[in-house]
Amino acid sequence: MARFDQLENMYDLGLKPVMLRSLIRQYLPAENHPLNLNNSCFELPSLVSILQTHCLLSELDSQSIDPKLINTWKSAVDDWLSCLLSLLSSDMSDKCWVGICLLGVTCQECSNQRFLSSYSIWLNKLISHIQPPADSQLVKIASCTSLADLLTRLARFPEVKKDGNLLAGKLVQPVLKLLNEDNVEAVWEGAANLLYALIAFFPASIHHYYDKVEAAIASKILPGKYSTKTLKKLGYCLALLPKVKGDKDSWSLMMQKILISIDDHLNEAFQGVEEEAKSDEARRLLVPPGKDLPLPLGGASFKGTSSERLPTATISTLMFCCCKMLISSYPVQVAVPVRSMLALVERLLRVDGSLPHTMLPFMTSVQQELICSELPVLHAYSLELLIAIIKGMRRQLLPHSAYIVRVVTRYFKRCSLPELRIKLYSIIRMLFVSMGVGIAIYLAPDVIENASNDLNSLGGEDIETSPANTGPATGALPQLSNRKRKHGAKTGSLEEKQDAPSPKVGESNTHQMTPITVKVAALDTLEVLLTVGAASKSESWRSSIDSLLMKTAINSCKRGWGNLESNIFLPHESASVWADFQFSSLRALLTSFLAPARVRPPYLSQGLELFRRGKQEAGMKLAQFCAYALFALEVLIHPRALPLDDFYSACHKSTDGASNRFLENIYSGCQKQNTSFLSSLQRTEQVGVESHDDDLYDRWLQNENENQNKKENENITVEDMKDHTSRPNDSSFTNVLEVREQEPAAANADVHMRTENEIVVQPWHLEESVPKAQEVASAKAVMSSAVGTDPEGSEIESKMPLYASDRLNDTNHDMFSFVDKVEGFDNVAGKTSSTFPNAEKGSSSMVHLDSDSSMDSFPGIVDADPDTDSD
Amino acid sequence: MNVVIASSSIDGGIGCWDLKTGAEQLRYKTCASPPHGLTSVGCRFLACSQLRDPSAASGHLLYWSWSKPQAQVKSFPAEPIKPLIANSDGTYIVGGGSSGDIYIWEVATGRLLKKWHAHYRAITCLVFSEDDSLLISGSEDGCVRVWSLFMIFDDVRRQQVSHLYEYSFTEHTLRVTDIVIGYGGGNAIIVSASEDRTCKVWSLSKGRLLRNVVFPSIIDAIAIDPGEHVFYAGSRDGKIYIAALNAESSPSDNYGLHIIGSLTDQSKPVTCLAYSAEGNLLLSGSEDGMIRVWDVKTQNITRMFRHSKGPVNNIVIVRLPYPLGRAESKSQPSSRKHELSLPPPLEKYANSTDEDMDNKAIVMLPDTIDLPSYLSSQLINDHIKQLQQQGSSAVAEMEAKRLKADCQRSMEMFQQLRKVYDNLQEFCVNELLDEQTMEGSKGN
Repeated sequence: MARFDQLENMYDLGLKPVMLRSLIRQYLPAENHPLNLNNSCFELPSLVSILQTHCLLSELDSQSIDPKLINTWKSAVDDWLSCLLSLLSSDMSDKCWVGICLLGVTCQECSNQRFLSSYSIWLNKLISHIQPPADSQLVKIASCTSLADLLTRLARFPEVKKDGNLLAGKLVQPVLKLLNEDNVEAVWEGAANLLYALIAFFPASIHHYYDKVEAAIASKILPGKYSTKTLKKLGYCLALLPKVKGDKDSWSLMMQKILISIDDHLNEAFQGVEEEAKSDEARRLLVPPGKDLPLPLGGASFKGTSSERLPTATISTLMFCCCKMLISSYPVQVAVPVRSMLALVERLLRVDGSLPHTMLPFMTSVQQELICSELPVLHAYSLELLIAIIKGMRRQLLPHSAYIVRVVTRYFKRCSLPELRIKLYSIIRMLFVSMGVGIAIYLAPDVIENASNDLNSLGGEDIETSPANTGPATGALPQLSNRKRKHGAKTGSLEEKQDAPSPKVGESNTHQMTPITVKVAALDTLEVLLTVGAASKSESWRSSIDSLLMKTAINSCKRGWGNLESNIFLPHESASVWADFQFSSLRALLTSFLAPARVRPPYLSQGLELFRRGKQEAGMKLAQFCAYALFALEVLIHPRALPLDDFYSACHKSTDGASNRFLENIYSGCQKQNTSFLSSLQRTEQVGVESHDDDLYDRWLQNENENQNKKENENITVEDMKDHTSRPNDSSFTNVLEVREQEPAAANADVHMRTENEIVVQPWHLEESVPKAQEVASAKAVMSSAVGTDPEGSEIESKMPLYASDRLNDTNHDMFSFVDKVEGFDNVAGKTSSTFPNAEKGSSSMVHLDSDSSMDSFPGIVDADPDTDSD
Repeated sequence: MNVVIASSSIDGGIGCWDLKTGAEQLRYKTCASPPHGLTSVGCRFLACSQLRDPSAASGHLLYWSWSKPQAQVKSFPAEPIKPLIANSDGTYIVGGGSSGDIYIWEVATGRLLKKWHAHYRAITCLVFSEDDSLLISGSEDGCVRVWSLFMIFDDVRRQQVSHLYEYSFTEHTLRVTDIVIGYGGGNAIIVSASEDRTCKVWSLSKGRLLRNVVFPSIIDAIAIDPGEHVFYAGSRDGKIYIAALNAESSPSDNYGLHIIGSLTDQSKPVTCLAYSAEGNLLLSGSEDGMIRVWDVKTQNITRMFRHSKGPVNNIVIVRLPYPLGRAESKSQPSSRKHELSLPPPLEKYANSTDEDMDNKAIVMLPDTIDLPSYLSSQLINDHIKQLQQQGSSAVAEMEAKRLKADCQRSMEMFQQLRKVYDNLQEFCVNELLDEQTMEGSKGN
């Protein structure tokens, strides 16, 4: 053998057949040797992982590979398979099990060619193990799973679809037999896997057995005795079953059957805790009067369970079915019974374990305790159903959105279990995103109230000061069980208690610990609220939310940075909870800065500091986000209102050709800016290369120029005196920054003027803190020379014209043709454009462009000026 | 593929052109539309309100599928509908009646979901906000109102408030001719044009007037530049004025404050405008029956489509997911199943005959993709774990098999021993009997 051929490295293809052969020798038990369970069996996972990592079964086929190698590899895989098949036909069940499992892996790993040539042989081999004579249950489960994998792979070849359907058809009856006749739960789970593959990939094979499959699944779900995992798998199969027929009616019928079954179970479970009228109403929605009741789910009527336990498992599985039906794709449009599903959700959420007045004598405390212990699960599932409804219906939910909002807000007030609150928050987020600003206006107050309560209450971050913390999961539980006990013990005084239950809940809500996970959900929800609804009617809550978010972010970061890399000593979720909290709080903070507002974000400086620190110190994900936040906020600090690219070229054209009459006009914006530089241009008289790309820079100079103008012309009366008071003058220039930061946001009513001040001040700020960019430096130069307070002013002044001319030559170029037009408007134009930098948004800039200044020069134009009267 | 569709107030059908190549596509027949009456419903089909006779007490609505020139579905609403729009995914159609009522229909079922009295005079134009949650309507009485659809559908809240609208802008003195909305969700701006020769810019977030632009002539159509630098106003004097939004306007303009220029090629009034963000093209329809495509960059006309002799009064740019025409027959049926069957006609009144349908909604469930997942390797791990925990039932079963074999062996052993015992007994009995007979014979 070619053992002495040196292998290049671990990527050498020659390695693979060799490895495969040694795997066979090492791990696969030979025909006549008994299998040592404790040895080779336990090594199977590592065998599989080697197979998968090195793609030992893939039989790569390409031109570049040595044909000899291909042959060696092929024969190695042949050996592997013959070995598996011999294991498969062994009468020892453990050997057989090994063979079946590995065949499943082979179905997934082998080359297309090999799969297509031998899938039918494998399928037939495997079928024999799920049919009687009954084999060991492990063997049955493994065969089901391997068959499912085989079908999954087979479905990826559309050319064998027909053959696949034929073969899959052979599987249906054995599977049904397993479901109906076997009595081991684990086997059903395996059968469910296979059934799922059949329904999902070869629906045609099921078509004839539709009712039987439904009956088989229903017979397992309805007693509700089995583990959630199995029930969910079966429920998923049931939800997908209508796809087999693929028409509108089967879907609706299945949905109706499931809803009726849920309704039946609820009627039984909620006897005594809800009023009759409710259940009657739900039924009327499900089966409209005058229409026939469809056959019950699974064909046979369901016998009630004993009153010892609630049919929670059944109800939750059926609700899970509904969810899956709503969010899986379906080939045709379907009629979704929205109203009855929403009624179901409302009915479930309404029941909180308290007893209606009329029912008091009929309930024992044991029964009530039973219901109370099961309710959280049912509530969780009904919220899941609500989520699925929103997902499935999307925009078409609109006619029902008001109803949903009422259900959600009512439940929000009472719900105190962390898990349920998290779900509620996610429902609200979905509503915001799918229904947009229209819903945000109306839902905002409730969200704000709940989120503020959650965020303001004590929580995990105060862990050092409150040793009583019992961990997130149990934090809210004592309260609930407390209520339960009271109900049970003091049946006589139930009435007085029910008169005022809600204040107690609300009260205790604020005092109890709120788990971090709930806080994260609250933060995320506030973030979405700000993105969607910050612009509309937000005056009442905006400032308090901004301060709350700032506070939360500072709190979350004060104890250092969370570690996102999971700690191997902790279960996966709990490891990154703190980092998630920080991440959410920072994200919400950024949103609060960026969301449209009427005042500058009051906590911007603290926020920037937080982001800066985060960028340097925090772990990868947080630091990346902080860097992004700093980047996004840059635009807030240096507002831009750049014209579209196209308009630059339009400007170019106008200055070059000037043949088109329009262009002279369209770029009057340009011209007007130019006018503000008239004085400096007159001084420099330099013509350089054109550059259009720094609008911002021009504006810096405008501000400068404006200052200059102001100094020269003391008689600017149009401007508010208010602005003059805060406007930097020679003496207080450097103090303005501090003044601005200390100022409360609301104090200065004229936001835009504030912004302007900020801009004037900025160069100084930058000069002190960061290495200066060329532009900034030059801007500073211009400014300082004009202001004349800089001791180095004289030195810089000599450079100044050069800087200015570099930037302003474009203005110079087309200046001369328009000088006659614009002469005399120096001051006016300077001022108008000074307001322009504030254009964070179109609207704000327009307010100003519309402003008073131009009125003087054009008294003839009638202009309803909205700004003057409203400000 | 982006197509331009256009209709006229005089029956010229609906013209359809490929915006890129300029090739004319199918012409959809028999359509005489009022302004703002043409819409594409979720890109699936075309809907257009019809108005033969302005004084008639009823009008009708027509649907065309993209592939057939004949109108296929005809609806008769309770009163003449002029403006007609659909939301972006085509689930609802909203129409404005001549009495000032607004109607919302569900497309899939044709049910009239809501109808409310919105204005004192006829509705002239309707616009959805970016997220489809707000509706903006303009009326002949000069009023522009903003409605939250959520509020419209909330029967409880409706009774608690004094008015249904979010904002009502009443500054226009004459008929509102066109409304457009800008970018930015709740913070967007609304631009409205009116016969009082002004265009007004409103803030959706603040609910107030931001700017008033007075034009030399009546503006019938507006289009907003996606960057909101300027907006374009098509006027009855045949010019398309360019008015400043973010752009700086010089006080020295010829036309008036904030108007920074104009596009002219024609003397006939401009009746409608559309802006194609892809390629920055401005489309204008004119009373001379032509559609001009302007390159905003160069201010030149790049293309002209001839629609009809009559005035063009609607231009809509539709982005189709697949090309029209020849590909029709070839492509797989699954992708066009929505298109082939048009929904039922819109109902006249809200009281539905089938009460059951009120509780249901016809929905196309969202597409989900199930990635194929293989279970075998996971199963091996699970089972190995089970095997390692010796207590599991499955392992017990294997153990049981071995025990069974043991048992069988024991049984065999037992049988053997029993046989030995039996033999022994028989031997003994025989011995005894023999002895007795011997003794008996002795005794005899």
